[in-house]
Amino acid sequence: MSDALLQLRNAVIDGRVKELEALTSAALSAGLTPKEILDNGLVQGMQVVGSEFKEGKKFVPEVLFSARAMQVSLNILKPLLAQTGTKMVGKVVIGTVKGDLHDIGKNLVGMMMEGAGFEVVDLGRDVAPEKFVEVVRRENADILALSALLTTTMRAMDQTIKMLKEANVRDAVKVMVGGAPVTADFALKIGADSYGSTAADAAEIAKKLIHAS
Amino acid sequence: MQAEKPRAIIACRVLQSLIEPYLLQALTAATFMEYGLHRTPALMREALQERIDRIKQPSVIVLGYGLCGNGLVDLKAGIHTLVVPRAHDCITIFLGSHERYMEEFSSNPGTYYLTKGWLESGSHPLREYQDLVEKYDREAAEWVIDEQYRNYSRLVLVVPDTGELAVCRDQACKVAQFCAARWGFRYEERVGSDKFVKELVTSAPWLQESTHDFLVIPPGGEIKQEMFWHEQSREKGWEGTAR
Repeated sequence: MSDALLQLRNAVIDGRVKELEALTSAALSAGLTPKEILDNGLVQGMQVVGSEFKEGKKFVPEVLFSARAMQVSLNILKPLLAQTGTKMVGKVVIGTVKGDLHDIGKNLVGMMMEGAGFEVVDLGRDVAPEKFVEVVRRENADILALSALLTTTMRAMDQTIKMLKEANVRDAVKVMVGGAPVTADFALKIGADSYGSTAADAAEIAKKLIHAS
Repeated sequence: MQAEKPRAIIACRVLQSLIEPYLLQALTAATFMEYGLHRTPALMREALQERIDRIKQPSVIVLGYGLCGNGLVDLKAGIHTLVVPRAHDCITIFLGSHERYMEEFSSNPGTYYLTKGWLESGSHPLREYQDLVEKYDREAAEWVIDEQYRNYSRLVLVVPDTGELAVCRDQACKVAQFCAARWGFRYEERVGSDKFVKELVTSAPWLQESTHDFLVIPPGGEIKQEMFWHEQSREKGWEGTAR
């Protein structure tokens, strides 16, 4: 890995928000493409952050600073990616399920999806199943990503999937679920297509789902 | 023949003052674990499993925990019988029933709960903010605390009796003032009940099978997330939706 990428990766891991602007410019000046910077610097940093959070080595504030750091760089890279005519890989509708007001994880996944080249339609939090169905249909989304933080609200995920089926749009969209209480086992039981255990994982899985379809 | 087995309690320290008055009556040994294990569910599971496995004689072990962000999921009973409150977290236990918790939850999902244990252990937005300001610069500290709490709109102090209300109120009000000034939270108090804890210590260890309020995991069994779902959410279709 080039020195510039390593520095970017480490700055994201440490959440050194203020350094990201200069590091991103330096990486671009060194001739790295926006996509290289994203995939081999920022995303790799967030992968480490995600694993360390799962293992209890990092806590929410640290993860937030890392995300904020990545966002600084992403804001510089996004217009450049658009200029180079990089095509969006697909469209994701994302939201936190009904009754749940937590959005840190959902925002993080949204950002990683953007970083992976998806167009992201963010419906916010406390989103009713009907709303998800309506927007998935209207936007002709490739992926629906559902988030929940509480064991009391995660059941709204199966209600949403049920409603997608009733509206005959279930087969037109891949459904991903995630959030602290959600497990791969739960995802399987409710008939979701996939489960992401970290935000970086979610973006990788989304790419695979698109290619598989 | 569960009544003949030794009984032990492994509980979170937030429940200590509630559990202790009943211990003598139930002649049960109790271990209280540190606060805040639920923040890292994987570590919570590890710590509890280690405690359970440390007991060598087949026993009835009462866990003074809720599902706590899946911290109990995959715990193995081993040679023991485990008895667990069927509660999502300790707020249910403090309020006295799952129904009362769901009432509070549905009336305002944006509620941040405070308990005596949380106040004592410094698990609340004011203390977190003070810690953040020490660690980071003010702008960063304010940004990160806002990210975590801006979606809440209510702070509720939950206590089991009016005596504890008097003990906690001053400190809770300081937290409430901070949250009101920063995010416009309103402050409320709820006097719950020690019904759940009393039953947990004095009658649940003799249960032969799971009930509405308690799970009984027989030797060799394992705790699973779906065991905590009550009828209301365990609608038909759950088992049959796998594709």
